[in-house]
Amino acid sequence: MVGISARSTALLAALLLAGTVAAHDHADHGAVDAKPAPKGDYAKVWLEKQQTAPRLAIAAQFDAAGRLWLARVVGQQIFVSHSSDTGKTFSEAVTVNRQPELISADGEARPQIGVVGQRVYVSWTQALPQPFAGHIRFSVSEDGGQSFSDPITINDDSRPITHRFNAMLADARGVTLAWIDKRDGAGNPEYRGAAIYTARSTDGGRSFETNRNLANHSCECCRLGMAADSDGMTVVFWRQIFGKNVRDFALARLDEPLRRVSEDGWEIDACPHHGGALAIDREGGRHIAWFTGAEKSPGLHYRRIDGETMSRPLRFGNLDAQSGHPQVAVVGRNVVLVWREFDGKFNHIRLMLSRDRGQNWSAPSSIARTAGAADDPLLLTDKGTPWLVWNTAVDGLKRSRIAP
Amino acid sequence: MKLFSLLITGLLFAGLAQAEMRPFVSGSLQKIEREQKGKPFILAFWSASCTHCPAELKALGELVRKYPKLELILVAADTPAEVPELEQLAQGYGVASQARWVFADAQPERLRYEIDRRWYGELPRTYFYDGRQQRKGHSGVLPAEQLEQWVVEHVK
Repeated sequence: MVGISARSTALLAALLLAGTVAAHDHADHGAVDAKPAPKGDYAKVWLEKQQTAPRLAIAAQFDAAGRLWLARVVGQQIFVSHSSDTGKTFSEAVTVNRQPELISADGEARPQIGVVGQRVYVSWTQALPQPFAGHIRFSVSEDGGQSFSDPITINDDSRPITHRFNAMLADARGVTLAWIDKRDGAGNPEYRGAAIYTARSTDGGRSFETNRNLANHSCECCRLGMAADSDGMTVVFWRQIFGKNVRDFALARLDEPLRRVSEDGWEIDACPHHGGALAIDREGGRHIAWFTGAEKSPGLHYRRIDGETMSRPLRFGNLDAQSGHPQVAVVGRNVVLVWREFDGKFNHIRLMLSRDRGQNWSAPSSIARTAGAADDPLLLTDKGTPWLVWNTAVDGLKRSRIAP
Repeated sequence: MKLFSLLITGLLFAGLAQAEMRPFVSGSLQKIEREQKGKPFILAFWSASCTHCPAELKALGELVRKYPKLELILVAADTPAEVPELEQLAQGYGVASQARWVFADAQPERLRYEIDRRWYGELPRTYFYDGRQQRKGHSGVLPAEQLEQWVVEHVK
Protein backbone atom coordinates (compact mmCIF):
# COMPACT_ATOMS: atom_id res chain seq x y z
CA MET A 1 0.00 0.00 0.00
CA VAL A 2 3.01 2.24 0.38
CA GLY A 3 3.00 5.04 -2.17
CA ILE A 4 -0.68 4.85 -2.97
CA SER A 5 -2.72 7.95 -2.34
CA ALA A 6 -5.56 8.08 0.16
CA ARG A 7 -8.06 8.26 -2.66
CA SER A 8 -6.65 5.20 -4.35
CA THR A 9 -6.76 3.40 -1.04
CA ALA A 10 -10.45 4.23 -0.64
CA LEU A 11 -11.08 2.96 -4.14
CA LEU A 12 -9.17 -0.16 -3.36
CA ALA A 13 -11.16 -0.72 -0.20
CA ALA A 14 -14.42 -0.30 -2.10
CA LEU A 15 -13.30 -2.75 -4.75
CA LEU A 16 -12.20 -5.22 -2.12
CA LEU A 17 -15.54 -5.00 -0.40
CA ALA A 18 -17.31 -5.53 -3.70
CA GLY A 19 -15.09 -8.51 -4.38
CA THR A 20 -15.91 -9.97 -1.02
CA VAL A 21 -19.65 -9.67 -1.47
CA ALA A 22 -19.58 -11.05 -4.99
CA ALA A 23 -17.48 -13.97 -3.89
CA HIS A 24 -20.03 -14.84 -1.25
CA ASP A 25 -22.76 -14.99 -3.84
CA HIS A 26 -20.73 -17.46 -5.84
CA ALA A 27 -19.10 -19.42 -3.11
CA ASP A 28 -22.14 -20.39 -1.11
CA HIS A 29 -23.58 -23.20 -3.11
CA GLY A 30 -23.35 -25.70 -0.28
CA ALA A 31 -25.88 -26.77 2.30
CA VAL A 32 -25.02 -24.13 4.86
CA ASP A 33 -26.60 -20.81 4.01
CA ALA A 34 -24.37 -17.83 3.65
CA LYS A 35 -23.72 -15.70 6.65
CA PRO A 36 -24.16 -12.07 5.68
CA ALA A 37 -20.94 -10.86 4.10
CA PRO A 38 -18.69 -9.49 6.81
CA LYS A 39 -18.35 -5.73 6.86
CA GLY A 40 -15.08 -5.13 5.09
CA ASP A 41 -12.52 -7.85 4.93
CA TYR A 42 -12.35 -9.40 8.40
CA ALA A 43 -9.30 -11.45 7.55
CA LYS A 44 -7.42 -8.34 6.55
CA VAL A 45 -8.49 -6.57 9.72
CA TRP A 46 -7.21 -9.46 11.83
CA LEU A 47 -3.94 -9.55 9.96
CA GLU A 48 -3.43 -5.83 10.46
CA LYS A 49 -4.20 -6.19 14.15
CA GLN A 50 -1.74 -9.05 14.47
CA GLN A 51 0.89 -6.98 12.70
CA THR A 52 0.47 -3.91 14.87
CA ALA A 53 -0.93 -4.84 18.30
CA PRO A 54 1.33 -6.30 21.01
CA ARG A 55 0.97 -10.08 21.14
CA LEU A 56 -0.34 -11.65 24.32
CA ALA A 57 2.38 -14.29 24.59
CA ILE A 58 5.24 -12.76 26.58
CA ALA A 59 8.37 -13.86 28.40
CA ALA A 60 9.30 -12.60 31.85
CA GLN A 61 12.00 -13.20 34.46
CA PHE A 62 13.26 -11.65 37.70
CA ASP A 63 16.98 -10.89 37.91
CA ALA A 64 19.07 -11.33 41.06
CA ALA A 65 18.39 -7.72 42.06
CA GLY A 66 14.64 -8.25 41.94
CA ARG A 67 14.02 -6.37 38.70
CA LEU A 68 11.30 -7.85 36.50
CA TRP A 69 12.35 -8.28 32.88
CA LEU A 70 9.84 -8.52 30.09
CA ALA A 71 10.10 -9.51 26.43
CA ARG A 72 7.12 -8.83 24.21
CA VAL A 73 6.42 -9.08 20.51
CA VAL A 74 4.92 -6.23 18.54
CA GLY A 75 4.58 -6.85 14.83
CA GLN A 76 7.79 -8.48 13.66
CA GLN A 77 10.02 -7.29 16.47
CA ILE A 78 10.82 -8.22 20.07
CA PHE A 79 11.16 -5.53 22.69
CA VAL A 80 12.75 -5.88 26.12
CA SER A 81 12.12 -3.69 29.13
CA HIS A 82 12.48 -4.01 32.89
CA SER A 83 10.69 -2.87 36.00
CA SER A 84 12.07 -1.95 39.40
CA ASP A 85 8.62 -1.93 41.03
CA THR A 86 7.57 -5.51 40.16
CA GLY A 87 5.75 -4.54 37.01
CA LYS A 88 3.90 -1.33 37.84
CA THR A 89 6.12 0.73 35.55
CA PHE A 90 8.62 -0.37 32.91
CA SER A 91 11.72 1.17 31.39
CA GLU A 92 11.64 2.30 27.79
CA ALA A 93 11.60 -0.81 25.60
CA VAL A 94 14.74 -1.72 23.66
CA THR A 95 14.45 -3.42 20.26
CA VAL A 96 16.07 -6.84 20.11
CA ASN A 97 15.87 -7.60 16.37
CA ARG A 98 16.29 -4.37 14.46
CA GLN A 99 15.60 -6.28 11.22
CA PRO A 100 11.92 -7.30 11.38
CA GLU A 101 11.04 -10.98 10.95
CA LEU A 102 8.00 -13.21 11.56
CA ILE A 103 8.03 -14.27 15.22
CA SER A 104 6.01 -17.10 16.75
CA ALA A 105 4.18 -15.69 19.75
CA ASP A 106 1.14 -17.59 20.88
CA GLY A 107 0.30 -20.17 23.52
CA GLU A 108 2.92 -22.89 23.35
CA ALA A 109 5.32 -21.05 21.01
CA ARG A 110 6.72 -17.93 22.55
CA PRO A 111 9.92 -15.94 23.10
CA GLN A 112 12.12 -16.71 26.10
CA ILE A 113 14.19 -14.41 28.27
CA GLY A 114 17.00 -15.11 30.75
CA VAL A 115 18.94 -12.59 32.81
CA VAL A 116 22.28 -13.24 34.52
CA GLY A 117 24.18 -10.22 35.76
CA GLN A 118 24.58 -7.75 32.90
CA ARG A 119 23.66 -10.37 30.33
CA VAL A 120 20.14 -10.51 28.94
CA TYR A 121 19.48 -13.53 26.71
CA VAL A 122 16.52 -13.61 24.34
CA SER A 123 15.45 -16.46 22.09
CA TRP A 124 12.51 -16.95 19.78
CA THR A 125 11.29 -18.93 16.79
CA GLN A 126 11.29 -17.22 13.43
CA ALA A 127 8.27 -18.51 11.51
CA LEU A 128 8.98 -19.41 7.87
CA PRO A 129 6.45 -19.39 5.02
CA GLN A 130 6.64 -23.19 4.70
CA PRO A 131 4.12 -25.06 6.90
CA PHE A 132 5.46 -26.01 10.37
CA ALA A 133 8.85 -24.48 9.53
CA GLY A 134 10.99 -22.17 11.61
CA HIS A 135 14.44 -21.20 12.82
CA ILE A 136 15.61 -20.90 16.42
CA ARG A 137 16.88 -17.37 16.89
CA PHE A 138 19.01 -15.87 19.63
CA SER A 139 20.33 -12.49 20.70
CA VAL A 140 22.20 -11.34 23.78
CA SER A 141 22.76 -8.02 25.51
CA GLU A 142 26.01 -7.63 27.40
CA ASP A 143 25.22 -4.18 28.76
CA GLY A 144 22.21 -4.80 30.96
CA GLY A 145 19.66 -4.67 28.17
CA GLN A 146 20.69 -1.35 26.64
CA SER A 147 21.59 -2.92 23.30
CA PHE A 148 21.32 -6.37 21.72
CA SER A 149 23.59 -8.35 19.41
CA ASP A 150 22.50 -9.08 15.86
CA PRO A 151 20.31 -12.18 16.07
CA ILE A 152 21.83 -15.50 15.06
CA THR A 153 20.20 -18.76 14.00
CA ILE A 154 21.02 -21.51 16.47
CA ASN A 155 19.89 -24.57 14.49
CA ASP A 156 22.82 -25.63 12.30
CA ASP A 157 20.47 -27.39 9.90
CA SER A 158 19.24 -24.50 7.76
CA ARG A 159 16.56 -26.22 5.71
CA PRO A 160 13.07 -24.65 5.88
CA ILE A 161 11.65 -27.39 8.13
CA THR A 162 10.58 -27.61 11.78
CA HIS A 163 13.01 -26.04 14.23
CA ARG A 164 10.49 -24.60 16.65
CA PHE A 165 9.27 -24.32 20.26
CA ASN A 166 12.44 -22.77 21.63
CA ALA A 167 13.11 -23.20 25.33
CA MET A 168 16.04 -21.58 27.13
CA LEU A 169 17.79 -21.83 30.46
CA ALA A 170 20.50 -19.37 31.51
CA ASP A 171 22.85 -19.90 34.44
CA ALA A 172 26.07 -18.46 35.77
CA ARG A 173 28.08 -20.67 33.42
CA GLY A 174 26.21 -19.96 30.23
CA VAL A 175 22.97 -20.56 28.41
CA THR A 176 21.33 -23.66 26.94
CA LEU A 177 18.66 -23.75 24.26
CA ALA A 178 16.41 -26.70 23.47
CA TRP A 179 13.86 -27.05 20.69
CA ILE A 180 11.83 -29.40 18.53
CA ASP A 181 13.64 -30.31 15.33
CA LYS A 182 12.55 -32.41 12.35
CA ARG A 183 15.90 -32.69 10.55
CA ASP A 184 16.23 -36.42 11.24
CA GLY A 185 12.80 -37.16 9.85
CA ALA A 186 13.01 -34.95 6.75
CA GLY A 187 12.34 -37.14 3.72
CA ASN A 188 11.80 -40.21 5.90
CA PRO A 189 8.10 -40.92 6.38
CA GLU A 190 8.96 -43.84 8.68
CA TYR A 191 10.48 -41.50 11.27
CA ARG A 192 8.02 -40.91 14.11
CA GLY A 193 7.54 -37.32 15.24
CA ALA A 194 10.46 -34.97 15.68
CA ALA A 195 13.60 -34.78 17.84
CA ILE A 196 14.72 -32.69 20.78
CA TYR A 197 17.87 -30.75 19.92
CA THR A 198 19.99 -28.64 22.24
CA ALA A 199 22.81 -26.13 21.92
CA ARG A 200 24.93 -24.73 24.73
CA SER A 201 27.06 -21.63 25.04
CA THR A 202 29.70 -21.32 27.73
CA ASP A 203 30.91 -17.86 26.71
CA GLY A 204 27.83 -15.86 27.51
CA GLY A 205 26.06 -16.43 24.21
CA ARG A 206 28.89 -15.30 21.90
CA SER A 207 29.24 -18.75 20.42
CA PHE A 208 27.43 -22.07 20.67
CA GLU A 209 28.62 -25.64 20.66
CA THR A 210 27.44 -27.88 17.81
CA ASN A 211 23.74 -28.79 17.91
CA ARG A 212 23.10 -32.02 19.70
CA ASN A 213 20.29 -34.56 19.32
CA LEU A 214 19.09 -35.19 22.88
CA ALA A 215 16.28 -37.59 21.94
CA ASN A 216 14.48 -38.91 18.89
CA HIS A 217 10.69 -39.19 18.44
CA SER A 218 9.35 -36.25 20.36
CA CYS A 219 5.82 -35.00 19.83
CA GLU A 220 5.79 -32.12 17.31
CA CYS A 221 4.02 -29.14 18.80
CA CYS A 222 4.17 -28.89 22.60
CA ARG A 223 6.33 -26.48 24.57
CA LEU A 224 9.36 -27.91 26.38
CA GLY A 225 10.00 -27.59 30.11
CA MET A 226 13.53 -26.82 31.32
CA ALA A 227 15.17 -26.56 34.74
CA ALA A 228 18.59 -26.87 36.35
CA ASP A 229 19.35 -30.03 38.33
CA SER A 230 20.76 -29.71 41.86
CA ASP A 231 24.29 -29.93 40.39
CA GLY A 232 23.53 -27.30 37.72
CA MET A 233 23.08 -29.68 34.79
CA THR A 234 20.20 -28.76 32.47
CA VAL A 235 17.16 -31.05 32.46
CA VAL A 236 14.56 -31.03 29.66
CA PHE A 237 10.95 -32.23 29.97
CA TRP A 238 8.78 -32.85 26.90
CA ARG A 239 6.00 -34.86 25.30
CA GLN A 240 7.52 -37.91 23.66
CA ILE A 241 6.12 -40.52 21.28
CA PHE A 242 6.46 -43.95 22.88
CA GLY A 243 5.87 -46.99 20.67
CA LYS A 244 3.79 -46.18 17.61
CA ASN A 245 1.90 -43.13 18.85
CA VAL A 246 1.58 -42.96 22.64
CA ARG A 247 2.19 -39.31 23.54
CA ASP A 248 3.32 -39.32 27.17
CA PHE A 249 6.11 -37.38 28.85
CA ALA A 250 9.86 -37.89 29.03
CA LEU A 251 12.61 -36.17 30.95
CA ALA A 252 16.37 -36.14 30.38
CA ARG A 253 19.47 -34.52 31.78
CA LEU A 254 21.71 -33.38 28.97
CA ASP A 255 24.22 -36.06 30.03
CA GLU A 256 21.77 -38.96 30.43
CA PRO A 257 19.35 -40.88 28.22
CA LEU A 258 15.67 -40.03 28.41
CA ARG A 259 13.38 -41.52 30.97
CA ARG A 260 9.63 -41.96 30.68
CA VAL A 261 7.88 -40.09 33.50
CA SER A 262 4.17 -40.45 32.70
CA GLU A 263 2.25 -43.61 31.84
CA ASP A 264 -1.08 -42.17 30.77
CA GLY A 265 -1.09 -44.07 27.51
CA TRP A 266 -2.46 -41.24 25.39
CA GLU A 267 -2.47 -43.02 22.07
CA ILE A 268 -3.34 -40.49 19.44
CA ASP A 269 -2.29 -39.15 16.04
CA ALA A 270 -2.94 -35.55 16.91
CA CYS A 271 -1.28 -32.34 18.00
CA PRO A 272 -2.17 -31.73 21.65
CA HIS A 273 -0.56 -28.25 21.62
CA HIS A 274 -0.14 -28.80 25.34
CA GLY A 275 3.25 -29.29 26.94
CA GLY A 276 4.33 -29.62 30.55
CA ALA A 277 6.25 -27.80 33.26
CA LEU A 278 9.28 -28.82 35.31
CA ALA A 279 10.84 -27.51 38.53
CA ILE A 280 13.69 -29.12 40.47
CA ASP A 281 14.26 -28.72 44.22
CA ARG A 282 17.55 -28.56 46.14
CA GLU A 283 17.46 -32.29 46.80
CA GLY A 284 17.14 -33.00 43.09
CA GLY A 285 13.46 -33.89 43.31
CA ARG A 286 11.76 -33.29 39.97
CA HIS A 287 8.30 -31.73 40.18
CA ILE A 288 6.38 -32.12 36.97
CA ALA A 289 2.95 -30.93 35.83
CA TRP A 290 1.42 -32.04 32.55
CA PHE A 291 -1.73 -32.55 30.55
CA THR A 292 -3.04 -35.75 29.03
CA GLY A 293 -6.18 -36.51 27.06
CA ALA A 294 -5.93 -40.25 27.80
CA GLU A 295 -9.41 -41.62 28.39
CA LYS A 296 -8.65 -43.36 31.69
CA SER A 297 -7.62 -40.10 33.39
CA PRO A 298 -7.85 -36.98 31.23
CA GLY A 299 -6.66 -33.61 32.49
CA LEU A 300 -3.79 -32.07 34.42
CA HIS A 301 -1.49 -34.13 36.62
CA TYR A 302 1.35 -33.53 39.05
CA ARG A 303 3.98 -35.90 40.36
CA ARG A 304 7.36 -35.79 42.07
CA ILE A 305 10.30 -37.90 41.04
CA ASP A 306 13.08 -38.72 43.57
CA GLY A 307 15.72 -40.87 41.95
CA GLU A 308 13.96 -44.06 40.87
CA THR A 309 10.83 -43.29 42.86
CA MET A 310 7.88 -41.55 41.26
CA SER A 311 4.86 -40.43 43.28
CA ARG A 312 1.40 -41.47 42.15
CA PRO A 313 0.10 -38.83 39.68
CA LEU A 314 -2.24 -36.32 41.32
CA ARG A 315 -5.03 -35.14 39.06
CA PHE A 316 -6.01 -31.48 39.41
CA GLY A 317 -8.07 -28.82 37.65
CA ASN A 318 -11.66 -28.67 36.47
CA LEU A 319 -12.06 -30.66 33.26
CA ASP A 320 -15.23 -28.81 32.31
CA ALA A 321 -13.38 -25.49 32.50
CA GLN A 322 -10.61 -26.37 30.02
CA SER A 323 -8.05 -26.59 32.84
CA GLY A 324 -4.67 -26.42 31.15
CA HIS A 325 -1.24 -24.93 30.57
CA PRO A 326 0.18 -25.52 34.06
CA GLN A 327 3.30 -24.04 35.61
CA VAL A 328 5.15 -25.36 38.64
CA ALA A 329 7.66 -23.65 40.94
CA VAL A 330 9.53 -24.92 43.97
CA VAL A 331 11.02 -22.90 46.82
CA GLY A 332 12.53 -25.00 49.59
CA ARG A 333 9.84 -27.52 50.54
CA ASN A 334 7.05 -25.35 49.09
CA VAL A 335 5.63 -26.28 45.73
CA VAL A 336 3.32 -24.00 43.73
CA LEU A 337 1.04 -25.05 40.89
CA VAL A 338 -0.85 -22.59 38.70
CA TRP A 339 -2.93 -23.23 35.61
CA ARG A 340 -5.64 -21.58 33.57
CA GLU A 341 -9.37 -22.27 33.45
CA PHE A 342 -12.29 -20.71 31.59
CA ASP A 343 -15.72 -20.70 33.23
CA GLY A 344 -17.66 -19.53 30.20
CA LYS A 345 -17.21 -15.89 31.13
CA PHE A 346 -13.85 -15.34 32.81
CA ASN A 347 -10.38 -16.71 32.35
CA HIS A 348 -9.03 -17.68 35.76
CA ILE A 349 -5.62 -18.55 37.10
CA ARG A 350 -6.04 -21.28 39.66
CA LEU A 351 -3.52 -22.05 42.37
CA MET A 352 -2.62 -24.97 44.63
CA LEU A 353 0.11 -24.94 47.29
CA SER A 354 2.05 -27.66 49.03
CA ARG A 355 4.35 -27.15 52.00
CA ASP A 356 5.78 -30.67 52.06
CA ARG A 357 7.35 -31.21 48.65
CA GLY A 358 4.08 -32.04 46.95
CA GLN A 359 2.61 -34.63 49.33
CA ASN A 360 -0.31 -32.57 50.63
CA TRP A 361 -1.99 -29.74 48.77
CA SER A 362 -4.27 -26.81 49.52
CA ALA A 363 -7.69 -26.72 47.87
CA PRO A 364 -7.52 -24.94 44.49
CA SER A 365 -8.36 -21.24 44.51
CA SER A 366 -8.55 -18.46 41.93
CA ILE A 367 -5.78 -15.89 42.30
CA ALA A 368 -6.55 -13.82 39.21
CA ARG A 369 -9.23 -13.52 36.59
CA THR A 370 -9.94 -11.46 33.50
CA ALA A 371 -12.94 -10.95 31.27
CA GLY A 372 -11.02 -10.88 28.00
CA ALA A 373 -8.34 -12.79 26.14
CA ALA A 374 -5.36 -13.95 28.15
CA ASP A 375 -1.93 -15.46 27.81
CA ASP A 376 -1.01 -18.67 29.60
CA PRO A 377 0.27 -18.02 33.14
CA LEU A 378 3.95 -17.51 33.91
CA LEU A 379 5.26 -18.54 37.32
CA LEU A 380 8.48 -16.76 38.36
CA THR A 381 10.53 -16.55 41.52
CA ASP A 382 12.02 -13.40 42.96
CA LYS A 383 14.62 -14.18 45.61
CA GLY A 384 12.69 -17.16 46.85
CA THR A 385 9.20 -15.70 46.47
CA PRO A 386 6.95 -17.09 43.75
CA TRP A 387 5.08 -14.63 41.54
CA LEU A 388 2.32 -15.12 39.04
CA VAL A 389 2.84 -12.93 35.98
CA TRP A 390 -0.09 -13.06 33.59
CA ASN A 391 -0.62 -11.00 30.47
CA THR A 392 -4.22 -10.13 29.67
CA ALA A 393 -5.87 -8.12 26.90
CA VAL A 394 -8.23 -6.14 29.11
CA ASP A 395 -6.39 -5.81 32.43
CA GLY A 396 -2.82 -5.61 31.13
CA LEU A 397 0.05 -7.37 32.87
CA LYS A 398 -1.28 -8.85 36.10
CA ARG A 399 1.16 -9.75 38.86
CA SER A 400 0.47 -11.56 42.12
CA ARG A 401 2.92 -12.38 44.84
CA ILE A 402 2.16 -15.87 46.04
CA ALA A 403 2.37 -15.99 49.82
CA PRO A 404 3.86 -19.22 51.15
CA MET B 1 -1.01 3.00 -13.10
CA LYS B 2 -0.40 -0.39 -14.67
CA LEU B 3 1.26 -1.52 -11.50
CA PHE B 4 -1.68 -0.17 -9.55
CA SER B 5 -4.17 -2.17 -11.65
CA LEU B 6 -2.10 -5.28 -11.11
CA LEU B 7 -2.12 -4.60 -7.42
CA ILE B 8 -5.90 -4.19 -7.43
CA THR B 9 -6.33 -7.42 -9.37
CA GLY B 10 -4.05 -9.19 -6.95
CA LEU B 11 -5.89 -7.87 -3.94
CA LEU B 12 -9.24 -8.70 -5.48
CA PHE B 13 -8.14 -12.25 -5.98
CA ALA B 14 -6.97 -12.37 -2.42
CA GLY B 15 -10.40 -11.01 -1.47
CA LEU B 16 -12.12 -13.71 -3.48
CA ALA B 17 -10.10 -16.48 -1.90
CA GLN B 18 -10.60 -15.12 1.59
CA ALA B 19 -14.31 -14.64 1.18
CA GLU B 20 -14.80 -18.39 1.05
CA MET B 21 -13.83 -18.74 4.68
CA ARG B 22 -16.32 -17.33 7.09
CA PRO B 23 -15.70 -16.15 10.63
CA PHE B 24 -16.64 -18.80 13.19
CA VAL B 25 -17.86 -16.86 16.20
CA SER B 26 -20.03 -17.38 19.26
CA GLY B 27 -23.26 -18.91 17.98
CA SER B 28 -21.80 -20.29 14.73
CA LEU B 29 -22.01 -23.89 15.92
CA GLN B 30 -25.71 -23.53 16.74
CA LYS B 31 -26.21 -21.97 13.32
CA ILE B 32 -24.49 -24.86 11.57
CA GLU B 33 -26.42 -27.41 13.63
CA ARG B 34 -29.71 -25.66 12.90
CA GLU B 35 -29.02 -25.58 9.19
CA GLN B 36 -27.95 -29.21 9.11
CA LYS B 37 -30.82 -30.39 11.29
CA GLY B 38 -31.96 -33.89 10.43
CA LYS B 39 -29.01 -34.49 8.13
CA PRO B 40 -25.92 -36.51 8.98
CA PHE B 41 -22.70 -34.54 8.54
CA ILE B 42 -19.08 -34.36 9.59
CA LEU B 43 -17.77 -31.29 11.39
CA ALA B 44 -13.98 -31.29 11.33
CA PHE B 45 -11.67 -28.93 13.20
CA TRP B 46 -8.14 -28.42 11.96
CA SER B 47 -5.32 -25.89 11.96
CA ALA B 48 -2.46 -24.67 9.83
CA SER B 49 -0.13 -25.48 12.72
CA CYS B 50 -1.34 -29.08 13.17
CA THR B 51 1.07 -31.58 11.65
CA HIS B 52 -1.47 -34.41 11.74
CA CYS B 53 -4.26 -32.49 10.03
CA PRO B 54 -3.06 -32.94 6.43
CA ALA B 55 -3.60 -36.72 6.64
CA GLU B 56 -7.10 -36.30 8.05
CA LEU B 57 -8.11 -33.59 5.57
CA LYS B 58 -6.79 -35.52 2.57
CA ALA B 59 -8.79 -38.58 3.64
CA LEU B 60 -11.93 -36.49 4.10
CA GLY B 61 -11.38 -34.84 0.71
CA GLU B 62 -11.18 -38.30 -0.92
CA LEU B 63 -14.43 -39.27 0.74
CA VAL B 64 -16.26 -36.19 -0.51
CA ARG B 65 -15.16 -37.00 -4.04
CA LYS B 66 -16.28 -40.61 -3.67
CA TYR B 67 -19.53 -39.72 -1.87
CA PRO B 68 -20.65 -36.32 -3.21
CA LYS B 69 -23.66 -36.38 -0.88
CA LEU B 70 -21.43 -36.31 2.18
CA GLU B 71 -21.76 -33.02 4.05
CA LEU B 72 -18.36 -32.01 5.33
CA ILE B 73 -17.90 -28.76 7.23
CA LEU B 74 -14.38 -27.67 8.08
CA VAL B 75 -13.48 -25.20 10.78
CA ALA B 76 -9.91 -23.97 11.14
CA ALA B 77 -9.04 -23.26 14.78
CA ASP B 78 -6.59 -20.53 13.76
CA THR B 79 -7.38 -16.84 13.29
CA PRO B 80 -8.58 -14.90 10.26
CA ALA B 81 -5.01 -13.57 9.92
CA GLU B 82 -4.08 -17.03 8.64
CA VAL B 83 -6.83 -17.19 6.02
CA PRO B 84 -4.55 -16.91 2.96
CA GLU B 85 -2.35 -19.72 4.31
CA LEU B 86 -5.39 -21.81 5.25
CA GLU B 87 -6.90 -21.39 1.79
CA GLN B 88 -3.67 -22.51 0.22
CA LEU B 89 -3.37 -25.55 2.50
CA ALA B 90 -7.01 -26.53 1.94
CA GLN B 91 -6.39 -26.36 -1.81
CA GLY B 92 -3.39 -28.65 -1.44
CA TYR B 93 -5.37 -31.14 0.66
CA GLY B 94 -8.20 -31.19 -1.87
CA VAL B 95 -10.83 -29.69 0.44
CA ALA B 96 -10.85 -26.09 -0.80
CA SER B 97 -14.61 -26.07 -1.39
CA GLN B 98 -15.23 -27.35 2.14
CA ALA B 99 -12.88 -24.94 3.90
CA ARG B 100 -15.66 -22.75 5.12
CA TRP B 101 -14.96 -21.40 8.57
CA VAL B 102 -12.14 -20.00 10.64
CA PHE B 103 -12.14 -19.18 14.36
CA ALA B 104 -12.63 -15.42 14.72
CA ASP B 105 -12.60 -14.73 18.43
CA ALA B 106 -9.71 -13.29 20.42
CA GLN B 107 -10.72 -15.90 22.99
CA PRO B 108 -10.70 -19.28 21.26
CA GLU B 109 -11.49 -20.78 24.70
CA ARG B 110 -14.92 -19.17 24.39
CA LEU B 111 -15.56 -21.00 21.13
CA ARG B 112 -14.27 -24.31 22.49
CA TYR B 113 -16.50 -23.86 25.52
CA GLU B 114 -19.51 -23.65 23.21
CA ILE B 115 -18.40 -26.46 20.93
CA ASP B 116 -17.46 -29.05 23.55
CA ARG B 117 -16.31 -28.51 27.10
CA ARG B 118 -14.40 -31.77 26.97
CA TRP B 119 -12.37 -30.84 23.92
CA TYR B 120 -8.96 -29.72 25.13
CA GLY B 121 -7.79 -28.14 21.89
CA GLU B 122 -6.04 -31.14 20.35
CA LEU B 123 -6.29 -31.41 16.56
CA PRO B 124 -7.62 -32.81 14.34
CA ARG B 125 -10.93 -32.99 16.22
CA THR B 126 -13.85 -34.52 14.31
CA TYR B 127 -17.55 -34.71 15.15
CA PHE B 128 -19.92 -37.14 13.49
CA TYR B 129 -23.53 -35.97 13.53
CA ASP B 130 -25.93 -38.81 12.89
CA GLY B 131 -28.88 -36.64 11.83
CA ARG B 132 -30.83 -37.63 14.95
CA GLN B 133 -29.42 -34.96 17.28
CA GLN B 134 -26.59 -37.23 18.39
CA ARG B 135 -22.94 -36.51 17.77
CA LYS B 136 -19.73 -38.36 18.52
CA GLY B 137 -16.40 -36.60 18.91
CA HIS B 138 -13.00 -38.02 18.06
CA SER B 139 -9.51 -36.61 18.52
CA GLY B 140 -6.69 -37.51 16.16
CA VAL B 141 -6.40 -38.94 12.67
CA LEU B 142 -8.98 -41.64 11.95
CA PRO B 143 -8.22 -44.62 9.72
CA ALA B 144 -9.69 -44.07 6.24
CA GLU B 145 -11.74 -47.30 6.50
CA GLN B 146 -13.38 -46.09 9.69
CA LEU B 147 -14.30 -42.78 8.07
CA GLU B 148 -15.70 -44.53 5.02
CA GLN B 149 -17.69 -46.96 7.16
CA TRP B 150 -19.42 -44.05 8.87
CA VAL B 151 -20.24 -42.49 5.52
CA VAL B 152 -21.62 -45.74 4.13
CA GLU B 153 -23.82 -46.18 7.21
CA HIS B 154 -25.11 -42.62 7.42
CA VAL B 155 -25.05 -40.93 4.00
CA LYS B 156 -27.76 -42.25 1.72
